[in-house]
Amino acid sequence: MALLKLENITKTFGGLMALNDVSLEIEHGELIAIVGPNGAGKTTLFNIISGVYRPDKGKIIFEERDITRMPAYKRAPLGFGRTFQIPRPFNSATVRENVAVGAMFGSLAGKVSVDDSLEIADRYIELVGLEAHKDKEAGSLTPVEKKMMEMARALAMKPKLLLMDEAMAGMHPKDIDEMVRFLKKIKEKENIAVVSMVEHVMRAVVGLAERVMVMHQGSKLVDAKTEEALTEPRVIEVYLGRPPDESK
Amino acid sequence: MVKYYPLIPVLAIYLVMFLIGFYIEGMWQMVALLAFYCALGQSWNIFMGMTGYVDFGYVTFIALGTYGMALGISYTHQYEWLGIGIIFIGLILALFLASLSALLESFIALRLRGAYFAIACIGINEGLKHFIEGARIWGGSDGIIFYGALIQAFGRETSNHLTAFWADFAVFIIAALAAILNIYYMRSKIGYALTAVREDEDAAKVMGINTTKYKTIAFLTSGLLGAAVGAFAWGVKLAHVYPGDVFVIHYTIECIVVVLLGGAGTLLGPVVGGLVYGLSKYWLAVVLPGFQLLVFAPIIIIIIVVFPEGIIGFVKQKTKSTPLARYII
Ligand SMILES: Nc1ncnc2c1ncn2[C@@H]1O[C@H](COP(=O)(O)OP(=O)(O)OP(=O)(O)O)[C@@H](O)[C@H]1O
Ligand SMILES: [Mg+2]
Repeated sequence: MALLKLENITKTFGGLMALNDVSLEIEHGELIAIVGPNGAGKTTLFNIISGVYRPDKGKIIFEERDITRMPAYKRAPLGFGRTFQIPRPFNSATVRENVAVGAMFGSLAGKVSVDDSLEIADRYIELVGLEAHKDKEAGSLTPVEKKMMEMARALAMKPKLLLMDEAMAGMHPKDIDEMVRFLKKIKEKENIAVVSMVEHVMRAVVGLAERVMVMHQGSKLVDAKTEEALTEPRVIEVYLGRPPDESK
Repeated sequence: MVKYYPLIPVLAIYLVMFLIGFYIEGMWQMVALLAFYCALGQSWNIFMGMTGYVDFGYVTFIALGTYGMALGISYTHQYEWLGIGIIFIGLILALFLASLSALLESFIALRLRGAYFAIACIGINEGLKHFIEGARIWGGSDGIIFYGALIQAFGRETSNHLTAFWADFAVFIIAALAAILNIYYMRSKIGYALTAVREDEDAAKVMGINTTKYKTIAFLTSGLLGAAVGAFAWGVKLAHVYPGDVFVIHYTIECIVVVLLGGAGTLLGPVVGGLVYGLSKYWLAVVLPGFQLLVFAPIIIIIIVVFPEGIIGFVKQKTKSTPLARYII
C-alpha cells in the first residue's frame, strides 16, 4: 500500500500552470528528492500535499483515504510533517514551545499533554543540536538554526511523511553532509518517508535520495532511481545544464 | 503549581485595591473605576493579546451584557419569590446575548483578517445600535431604566447596596476570574495554538492547528467576560441603559490602551495598564478639569514609545533570569 498517491494533479495560478498533470507515489519509509529549477513547481507540490492549496484537478490519496478536499489542519494529525522553504517559526515563542506545538498538534494530537509535548520537544531539540538555544525566542535564531528548529518541530509531529522544502539551501557543505546523515538515521529509526526538495544542492541529492523526481515547468520530467535519474540527458540539460558530478 | 505563580501578584493587587476601597473613606469610587479597567483589559487581552487580532467591536459585548441585565431585571422584578435570582437571570441573559453575538461575529468576522476583521466588528456594533434604535426594540433610543424595578424587587436600601457596592464587587470577581482563565489558557494547548495563530496563521494550520476553533474559544471567552463586566459595572451599577451610551467605540479604544500600556499577551499587563490608565484619568480630571485629554494623550503616547512591549513586557525583559521571573508573565 502506497503511503501517498498523487493522481494527475493540476494547479494553476491565474493563467500560470504551476503543476501540470503530476502523478506521484510514495512508499512508507522512502527517501525521495524532488529537484528542478526555480519556478518548477516544487513548493506548489508541497503546498498541495500539505493542504495549503486545493488542486484544480486530480486526487490525493493518503493511506487509501481520499484527502483531496481535507483542510490542512486535519491532514497534520494523519501523519504529515513539513518544513518551509523560508523558515516560518512562531517568532515570539521559544524554540522549546515551537517544537512542542509540533508534538501537541501533529499525529500525537489528543494523546499527549502539554507537559508530555515539552518533553518530546526536548528530545528532538537535542537531536538537531539546539539544546543551547531551547529557551531563546525562535525569532532570534540564525537562518540555519531556524531550519534545524523547523526540522525538530516537524519531527515532533511524528509524521509518516516528512516534507522538507529546501532544507539544505544555503548550508555549508559540511552541514549538508551532517544533515544527510541525520535524515538517514531518522528514516531508519522512525520509518518516515522523507520527501526533500533540493534545488542546487546536488551533493545532497546524491547522498540522500533513493529516488529522484525531476520537475520542470510544472511537469514531472523524470522519476527514477537516483543513479539513473542523474545520468538522464534530459535532466542534465534542464537541471543546471551541467553534469551532476561536477558539484560533488 | 509553579505554572500558576504569576497569578499571585495579580490577585494580590486586586485584594489590596479592594481593601483600600473598603476601609478607606471615599476611595471606593476610584477603586471601582480601576477594577473596571483592569477587568476589561484582562478580558480583552484573552482574545487580542493572545491572537493579535484587534477587535474594535469589543464594546458590543459590554453593551449587550448591560442590555441582558436590564432586560432580566425589568422583566422579572415583579416575581417576589425570585429574590436575588433576578440578578442571575440578568447575568444569564447577558451571557446569552453576548454568545449569540460572539458566534455571529466569529462566523462572519473571524474568517477575515487584520483590518477587515476590525472593520467588520465596528460594522456589527454600529449595526446593532441602529437596529435597536430604528426597530424600537428594548425601548429603542429611550433605552431601559430599571432603578424602579430594583427598588420594587429589593426595597430602597438593598437596591442602594446593590448599585453602590455589590455591582463593583462583582467586577472584582470578574477581573479575578478573567486572570485565572487567562493563565489557564496560556498554559494549555489553547495558548500554544493561539501563539501560533498570532505569529503565522498559515503555518499554524499546516502544523495541525484548527485555527478557527481556537480563535472562537478565545473570542467567546473574552466576549462573555466583557458582557459580565457590562452587566454589573454598567447594568446593576447604573440601573439604566441607552443604546447611544453603550455601543460606543470609545470604550473599545480604552481597552486597547489599557492592554497596550500594560503589555499585550501578558497576565499582569492589563492589571498594571488598568491601574496606570485609570489613575491618570482620574487624577487628571481632578487637577486639570477640562484639559485632561490634552495632557493624557501625550502621556499615553510617551509610555507606549518608551515601552513598546508595554510596562510588563519591559519588566519581563529586565527580570528574565531572576527569581522574580516566575511570578511575572
Ligand atoms: N500563490 C501563488 N500565486 C501565484 N503564483 C504562484 C503562487 N505560488 C507559486 N506561484 C507560481 O507558480 C510557479 C511555481 O512556483 P513554486 O514556488 O512551486 O516553484 P519552486 O519549484 O518551488 O521554485 P523555487 O526553486 O523558486 O522555490 C512559479 O512560477 C510561481 O511564481
Ligand atoms: Mg520552492
